Amino acid sequence: MRTARRISQIVFFLFFIFLFLITRYPYEHGITTEIFLRFSPLSPVFMFIKDLKINLLFLPALIILFFTVFFGRFFCGWICPLGTLLDISGKIVKSPLNRISEKWQKLRYLKFALLIGLLILALFSVHIWGYFDPLSIFNRALTIVFYPLATLFAEKALLALSNVSFLEDPAYWLYDQFKYAIMPENQAHYQQLFWIALFIFLILIAEKLSRRFWCRYLCPAGALLSFLSQFRFYERIVGEQCPACNKCQIECKMNAIPQDDVGYTNKVECIECFNCGATCPPKYNAITYRWRWTPYRTSVDYSRRRFLGTSVASITALGLLGVGIKNKEAINQQVRPPGSLTEEDFKDKCIRCMECVRICASNGACLQPSGIQSSIADLWLPIAEMRTGYCEYNCNQCGQVCPTEAILPLTLAQKKKTPMGLAYFDKNLCIPFARNEDCIVCEEHCPTSEKAIKFDIRDFTDPKTGQTRKVKYPYVIKELCIGCGICVYKCPLEGKPAIFVTIENQKRPTSSDILKS
Amino acid sequence: MKRRQFIRSISLGTAGISLLPVLGNKLLYGSGQFPQAVWVENGEPEQLLKRALQEFGGLKRFIKKGDVVVIKPNIGWDRPPELAANTNPHLVAALVKACKEAGAKKVKIFDRTCNNPQRCYRNSQIQKWAEKAGAKVEHIRPNRFKKITIDGNIVKEWLIYRDYLEADKVINVPIAKHHSLSLVTLGLKNLMGVMGDNRGLIHNNFAEKLTDIDRKILPTLTIIDAYRILTANGPVGGNPKDVKLTKTLILSDCTVSADNLALSLFGLKLEDVPHIKMAYEKGLAKYDPGKLTVRRVTLG
Ligand code: SF4
Ligand code: SF4
Ligand code: SF4
Repeated sequence: MRTARRISQIVFFLFFIFLFLITRYPYEHGITTEIFLRFSPLSPVFMFIKDLKINLLFLPALIILFFTVFFGRFFCGWICPLGTLLDISGKIVKSPLNRISEKWQKLRYLKFALLIGLLILALFSVHIWGYFDPLSIFNRALTIVFYPLATLFAEKALLALSNVSFLEDPAYWLYDQFKYAIMPENQAHYQQLFWIALFIFLILIAEKLSRRFWCRYLCPAGALLSFLSQFRFYERIVGEQCPACNKCQIECKMNAIPQDDVGYTNKVECIECFNCGATCPPKYNAITYRWRWTPYRTSVDYSRRRFLGTSVASITALGLLGVGIKNKEAINQQVRPPGSLTEEDFKDKCIRCMECVRICASNGACLQPSGIQSSIADLWLPIAEMRTGYCEYNCNQCGQVCPTEAILPLTLAQKKKTPMGLAYFDKNLCIPFARNEDCIVCEEHCPTSEKAIKFDIRDFTDPKTGQTRKVKYPYVIKELCIGCGICVYKCPLEGKPAIFVTIENQKRPTSSDILKS
Repeated sequence: MKRRQFIRSISLGTAGISLLPVLGNKLLYGSGQFPQAVWVENGEPEQLLKRALQEFGGLKRFIKKGDVVVIKPNIGWDRPPELAANTNPHLVAALVKACKEAGAKKVKIFDRTCNNPQRCYRNSQIQKWAEKAGAKVEHIRPNRFKKITIDGNIVKEWLIYRDYLEADKVINVPIAKHHSLSLVTLGLKNLMGVMGDNRGLIHNNFAEKLTDIDRKILPTLTIIDAYRILTANGPVGGNPKDVKLTKTLILSDCTVSADNLALSLFGLKLEDVPHIKMAYEKGLAKYDPGKLTVRRVTLG
């Protein structure tokens, strides 16, 4: 069973990474790559609170929830890619024995507190659970940290090799393969890299304190599954012949076997890694796993007193999220992906998984994880940064990969008619206005079929030389501009661009808009 | 290094020898047999090209056996061929075949695109058809630009794509389009696709800067694709109404002359278009505009 579990972990892990890799232009393989984010057990619950209906979009998660009642936290042990990553990390940093990590045991309630806290916030319609969703964390780290890091090294190395004369051809051959299979787009660079890297680093390095530290003490998805597995029917049964050598107890990833009672399993903690069965010495072979219609119950490590504490903490968090200043200037710059729901709904539904950011990197590459701009909950929402990229006119792919439909899947025709914002010139910087010389690079690139940037041709007489020349002075037509930002991206000024996009004129559909008609 | 030089000197030698048949041709048909430019109209891209090359004395006049040829089409935009923002893919493919038949060892195609390169290469359909025809279609690699001395009136040096510089022969294949800044984009402007750095900076004082750089990188041949031309909202276009089916092709070994000829498609005159006018003034043209010999053919 342990071998089966390991294979399952590897298969799911590689499968998720494969899905990640093919989340890119042209996206015509017909596979909905975001499906793996819909494995997250938390999503159907929180989406239910948001929409008050069961969303079949999250069918994979619903199936997992259903089977958890009978089989327990198999998701954590067999499927979750973050869990697998933690196991790898644990091997590298050498997690201590359960005997030593026992001292953290009292923190078990934290994951329940976190889950309940997030639920309370959600009931007050503040949805920030996405920050702690394990699959979202995994995809976020992969998109922003691991993948760019890997491609950076790979590309640098291959290009360096290609400079060595006799290696030029094989190196370029390898480079072509790399470009074909791994990174057809340009090297990605992301803001917020430091914080997202720190977040995942802390989770991974916590393996130094105990095995699966995150899963044992913090993970809200684990907590939800714990609630459901209190009565699990599939049980670990220890036979009479057991001499209590405690080998299984030592090997237990979750420390779910009490030191003084190896016959018992903490069903709420057990993730069915089957390490116990595999370590039980063959001469005893005391452990069997069996289905029983009259299961015993393990109760959740969470008292009423703790619930009060959690409530107070969540109300405080609620307040903190509310009292921040509303920075109008910052809000005006928060250009969202085309087809994003209205800002309130968008904030609630977006789980900060970075799937849209990932696919955008192979298109216009404008989407970035946002920093804290006007409220803490702005953090890591996708934002279109037009100086580092632009929204590609013929692209609608972010909407197609958003797992929660925080960005609606617009058709290309709809997307082209859904402005993200409106461009304004900064005439103090714009070359024709500032220096009375031609430029209009913005106009050249403006993709709308009737250009949203037009220009006046006016005579300019140079006071020094007395010579008169014709200069093209550009301006934006509000009705035509879709806020794609390629004008900002291509503006040849070195630093601050002379044109910028604001959210004015943006079109944000509401959930109820049946855009798919 | 040594080996390279050796090969180079050999190919110089063979170049000398292979000039003979050309001279022979000239003797045979009398000099001035070949026009300085060809204008063919009323045919499909492949037919236009075939006839134009025929009238011009065949590609063999320019391409030697074993040459590495770079074809530089316009692949700048994420637009399908019907919208006339990129060079016609079938023309490019036919040209690849012609180069191969003329003895080219390798035909390379690339362009520094304005939209996402994957999208442009794909949706222009140039990647597909040119690869089928046997070309190596590559994305621009950022480490392959080389700073070259320009010493122009304004531009002193600029980054140019190495594969372009190292090619034995270069064929520039622009599509004829409207452009707000330069009025038209043709052969001279199409060469911006091999320039590195911040190209937007070329836009102010455009005529002077463009001709400064172009002077150093003029191609062997220029073939203007005017099968479909874009008459407004260029160079991106997007509205089928702005596309005109003109079924024309212009070929010359002088970029400036080819560009000058193409102006009539847009109802423009040389005086209207500063960058082409300046190209003449700065001596980029091989032929005098007044005395240019053009063979005009209408296919039927
Ligand atoms: S539609 Fe725009 S924002 Fe969305 S992925 Fe494509 S380029 Fe990026
Ligand atoms: S908007 Fe982007 S980051 Fe948010 S849930 Fe959708 S795909 Fe994930
Ligand atoms: S944002 Fe700029 S490029 Fe895009 S439509 Fe508006 S004016 Fe044109």
